[in-house]
Amino acid sequence: MTLVAGVDIGNSTTEACVAEIGQDGDIRYLAAALAPTTGVKGTTDNVKGVAEVVREALARAGRDQADLRTVLINEATPVISGLAMETITETIITESTMIGHNPDTPGGAGLGVGVTVAFGDLLRRSPGEEVICVAGAGLDFEEVAAGINRAAARGVRVTGAIVRSDDATLIVNRLREPIPVVDEVTLVERVPLGMRAAVEVAPPGHTIRTLSDSYGIAGVFDLDAEQTRMIAPVARALVGNRSAVVVRTPSGEVTGRRIPAGELTLIGERGKATAEVGSGAEEIMRALRRVEPLLDAAGEPGTHVGGMLARVRGTMSELTATPLDGVRIQDVLAVDTFVPQRVRGGLAGEFALENAVGLAAMVRTSRGPMELLAAGLRDTLGAEVLIGGVEAEMAVLGALTTPGAGTPVAVLDLGGGSTDGALATGDGTVESVHLAGAGDLVTSLIDSELGLEDREAAEEIKKHPLAKAESFFHVRMEDGTARFFEDPLPAEAFARVVVLTDAGPRPIHTRHGMEKIRRVRRAAKRRVFVANALRALARVAPGGDIRRIGFVVVLGGSALDFEIPEMIAAAVAEYGVVSGTGNVRGREGPRNAVATGLVVRHAMSAHALR
Amino acid sequence: MSHTASAATVSAGGPAAGGYTLRLTDKGPAQARHRADEVVIGVSPAFGGLFTKTIVGIPHAEVLRELLAGVEEQGVHARVVRVPASSDLAVIAHTAAKLSGSGIAVGILSRGTTMIHQKDLVRLSNLELFPQAPLLDLETFRLVGHNAARYAKGESPQPVASRNDYMARPRWQAKAALLHIKETQLVRPGAVPVELEVSITRAGLD
Amino acid sequence: MHMTNPAGGLPSRSKRTEVLEKRPVNLDGFVEEWPEVGMVAMDSPYDPEPGVRVENGVIVEMDGRRRADFDFLDQFIADHAIDVAVTERAMAIPAAEIAHMLVDPRVPREEVLAVSRGLTPAKLLEVVKTMNVVEMMMALQKMRARRTPANQAHSTSAQDNPIQVAAEAAEAALRGFRELETTLGVVRYAPLVAIALQVGAQAGKPGVLTQCALEEATELELGMRGITAYAETISVYGTEPVFCDGDDTPWSKAFLASAYASRGIKMRFTSGTGSEVQMGYAESRSMLYLEIRCILVTKGAGVQGLQNGSISCIGVPGAVPAGIRAVLAENLIASTVDLECASGNDQSFSHSDLRRAARLLPQLLPGTDFICSGYSAVPNYDNMFAGSNLDAEDYDDWNVIQRDLQVDGALRHVPEAEILAARNRAARALQAVFAHLGLPPITEEEIDAATYAHGSNELPLRDVLEDLKGAQRVMDGGVTGLDIVKALHAGGFEDIAESLLGVLKQRVSGDLLHTSAILTPELTTLSAINDANDYAGPGTGYRPSGDRWEEMKALRHVVSARDPEREVG
Repeated sequence: MTLVAGVDIGNSTTEACVAEIGQDGDIRYLAAALAPTTGVKGTTDNVKGVAEVVREALARAGRDQADLRTVLINEATPVISGLAMETITETIITESTMIGHNPDTPGGAGLGVGVTVAFGDLLRRSPGEEVICVAGAGLDFEEVAAGINRAAARGVRVTGAIVRSDDATLIVNRLREPIPVVDEVTLVERVPLGMRAAVEVAPPGHTIRTLSDSYGIAGVFDLDAEQTRMIAPVARALVGNRSAVVVRTPSGEVTGRRIPAGELTLIGERGKATAEVGSGAEEIMRALRRVEPLLDAAGEPGTHVGGMLARVRGTMSELTATPLDGVRIQDVLAVDTFVPQRVRGGLAGEFALENAVGLAAMVRTSRGPMELLAAGLRDTLGAEVLIGGVEAEMAVLGALTTPGAGTPVAVLDLGGGSTDGALATGDGTVESVHLAGAGDLVTSLIDSELGLEDREAAEEIKKHPLAKAESFFHVRMEDGTARFFEDPLPAEAFARVVVLTDAGPRPIHTRHGMEKIRRVRRAAKRRVFVANALRALARVAPGGDIRRIGFVVVLGGSALDFEIPEMIAAAVAEYGVVSGTGNVRGREGPRNAVATGLVVRHAMSAHALR
Repeated sequence: MSHTASAATVSAGGPAAGGYTLRLTDKGPAQARHRADEVVIGVSPAFGGLFTKTIVGIPHAEVLRELLAGVEEQGVHARVVRVPASSDLAVIAHTAAKLSGSGIAVGILSRGTTMIHQKDLVRLSNLELFPQAPLLDLETFRLVGHNAARYAKGESPQPVASRNDYMARPRWQAKAALLHIKETQLVRPGAVPVELEVSITRAGLD
Repeated sequence: MHMTNPAGGLPSRSKRTEVLEKRPVNLDGFVEEWPEVGMVAMDSPYDPEPGVRVENGVIVEMDGRRRADFDFLDQFIADHAIDVAVTERAMAIPAAEIAHMLVDPRVPREEVLAVSRGLTPAKLLEVVKTMNVVEMMMALQKMRARRTPANQAHSTSAQDNPIQVAAEAAEAALRGFRELETTLGVVRYAPLVAIALQVGAQAGKPGVLTQCALEEATELELGMRGITAYAETISVYGTEPVFCDGDDTPWSKAFLASAYASRGIKMRFTSGTGSEVQMGYAESRSMLYLEIRCILVTKGAGVQGLQNGSISCIGVPGAVPAGIRAVLAENLIASTVDLECASGNDQSFSHSDLRRAARLLPQLLPGTDFICSGYSAVPNYDNMFAGSNLDAEDYDDWNVIQRDLQVDGALRHVPEAEILAARNRAARALQAVFAHLGLPPITEEEIDAATYAHGSNELPLRDVLEDLKGAQRVMDGGVTGLDIVKALHAGGFEDIAESLLGVLKQRVSGDLLHTSAILTPELTTLSAINDANDYAGPGTGYRPSGDRWEEMKALRHVVSARDPEREVG
């Protein structure tokens, strides 16, 4: 019997599997352990983490370090990824044509049409005139209400109001005749005066009907067909709002503009292709499919995409100590996304969801200084160290110890930076692929689409189910069920959307409701994990046909996610493929596959040699 | 010190800088209510009585007016009670929260220190605390009322940004201690919370 | 010259008043005394009369209160702080006579200690009430425990940026601070910032001791693991209700103190005038009387030292008459009962530069064990202890004052090139430690920025999420000071590793448990045992001379005597 340890050095986790191998190659698994990888994968910095994890596994097995004969390590080629995101559209309002935001509490309800008049000039208008009152900063709500009441008493028909402060309800509550009031218009001083305008407020729980409809606006302002065509973008921009203002100015309009983001050049084994980033992710991925596997990618210098790739390259160059021009981008994943952006020309700090492209890029560096790493380990652990086996092949061998799995089997390892796939056909050959885009990109998408500007919160949303703390003693889970607690929830969780972490509910500071957050989370996972799973399987499948893969085993940390495995299973089910979470050796779950594979392979070759 | 705010007194602050006059009239013991759309504002023993201004001189009339406006703007009702039995902000806010139909209350001390509380929380905890009284301005008080009302509606307001200034200590620390001690002297242990009728008037406005 | 007033009539205010109104000192707060509630520095008709009565070796009456009426502070002090064997004799000596002993350089320190160990709180108060500030400074010069004065700094970052803290610690160490303290905005960052402080400190100068002010359990854990070297933020208060407000008693604090001692870790308590009246629980006693009770609780708990001088309540004594005299008296009494004294000057105190200096001189001139218990080694906007009386922008002023008066404030001017080298090396050493421990990488850009920065505004933002995960791994993975030593060694920073190992070895020898212990750059202990204060009047005691005095003469700009067109230093 020989005591061996298989060790898998991953990008973030190092795993070990301790086993005894008998004369005829039979394996008795003793224990497993895992710890964070120390330093960049494939460098001598890993020695500390490896030694720690091997000792831990030995201790669990109740065996002495002196008895350890051989340490098996994988060929750890560092795979490093980078991310960037670029907004490619913007919305511009000219001549302050429109106010389309959702203040918490607009006042009144209905539609008011009239000529815009400054609050101070209200009493100078003639009786019978229809006006919209514009109240600027520094005016008190009682003052405004009293002024409107006085003007109304004199016969001026004040049909609506636009105000600076959060005062709409306060004003309406003090009016003799309620009118629609839109408040929190931060740049109210830029509202053009003396122009015809319409103010609309919908009752709570409703959205506006007139100003979000082109014909509605046409009716209000008596527009002809040509003018109605011009105003259509304004109506579109107001759809879904509870309150809005439209001012008719000589050439005011709302335009959407594409931002020239530059051209991405993809150099692949099958040629070279270019894609305009501004055209979106699909265009980029189509170009990629034409040329992949990718050898390198370049961005047009002086453009956004140029800067984007330069940042990715810079990070990788620094992390791997490779000169900049030695960094080769070997895969990209482009994803369409939305970023809430402040509207240019907006009067109330309006946000519009602008289109953006998220881009993940991956570099596979040259083989790391494995010999040095092995030597360091030999000194530290006092055992023979063998470098052996391509990571993907070892993962397959490990995955096959999952009860019920058979060949041809594909494994998917969904990590933080990259998605790795491999296929074993049963005749001993293994195809493998590393693709850009995984957990980190999902976090970025969640972060930007929800406008969180807090990666920590985004990461928690990615990892845990949501709930809303409805009282201190119960939460409403995202699936609608209630969960009760014996001990009160922490004060900061009250009335908030929370993520249910292992350490208890953690509040997410955002305006968004639970349903919206959930939608964003699942969409981000689908666009990255599911898309990449299918991309990886297509790359390794015989003839690119996913149907020819029998089984898919999902491995690694993401396999422990509460919804990713089921999302992937649903996606590959369409191809008639069985997919599930790995259960290495029937007991380790999706962990320890490579480490186990190393032991399996060693036992096979040791037996064959004999 | 002999000043005590007796249950029957009407305390009044004179017209201040903003020209508002505050009259707080005692309406008898405060009752717990069941209407879910209310926020209770609990004031300390000397608020609008022995003291008429916060530590930095903002008239209580205007402070209360902004708190009430912040609640009203959200379409929520407000009641004001005095908690004569304590000068401890957590006790005042928590007592008020237990009287509140929504379970949400704002507590405020004469010097301006403010807290949003909820009835099921332990007393020493809170939903939002604004400990640096010298940095609280009228805009902040409006936002406090706004947030309290949104909690009452079951919404998730962004906490009001808290501010900090390390030079507040040399300027205000001792005065804060004096105000606290004076207020504490008005405490009537065991006295029940009192419902207040609030009148805030301004000369020249109908 | 003929003056006209355009508005007609007389102006409402004199121009002089207008100028004076704008002076920064008028932004400070001042209040009248109110002894009934304790708003009085040290002269209150409601403080008790001194007195003591011993029966069968037990104090049965103290300061006019019978044992049955003792609160828990009285009991703790009577049973643990006062030497029953000498108390009746000591108390019989008139207060003015004891004050004379304190001021008179010919009365040796030991002789004073023989009396002071028998004095009750009210008696100690009566003694200092007979003294003016100059007499107190004379007394402090003699009563301070360690012969050589030292200084302590705050090294913090508004972003909790560990690279900044490492660089700042190195600079502070180089400038002469022998103890460095940090704390956090985001508490979960603590392990990384504490490691940064330790590495930076040793990179700047060997043997600097470091601490991280946190909630008590975590602070103790970091100490036991050897990530920090001492502890200070263990607060005690002068009345029962304030003590109870923090769920504590003198006994629970003494228990915590013994936990540190059990591992050979240096620690001191913290207290200060004003905290009780601030909380409204002063029980009609003066601020100083209550502080003296804190000093004696510290003594009774067997702790070697105390950080006092009002500390975070400085705005309270600072606002009443004679408040800063009372603050000096606190420091003097701590020294008089043979405690190490880290003497305040560590919190934002005044808008006026003149007043800041006047508040400092009573500690700087006689010298204390630590003149500042927190000189902000970073600009005050980065100070996570809410600002200090002195910050990084006051370095040159401090050095000039030392040189003008030939008084040792324990700092020195350091040429820029040396500072940059030390800051850079500290950041690099931290980079190696982070890499070795598998913590989020530190980039070249961050090292450059930390080397040249004045404050966190000039530093790139860290990936806080990754850092916090790393911090959690440090806590979960059981990382100790020894792991940091190994990491430094593996990273090629053998000398820094050696220094840190030297600091860690102290907890085995226990030498840092002696009163007023610090480590020299040669890693030997300097304490009241082997560097006892021997001041005995003119020509004796510690005076800056020789190499140290030469070092103190250097400033940023000094015109060369040999070549007046040139500057030296």
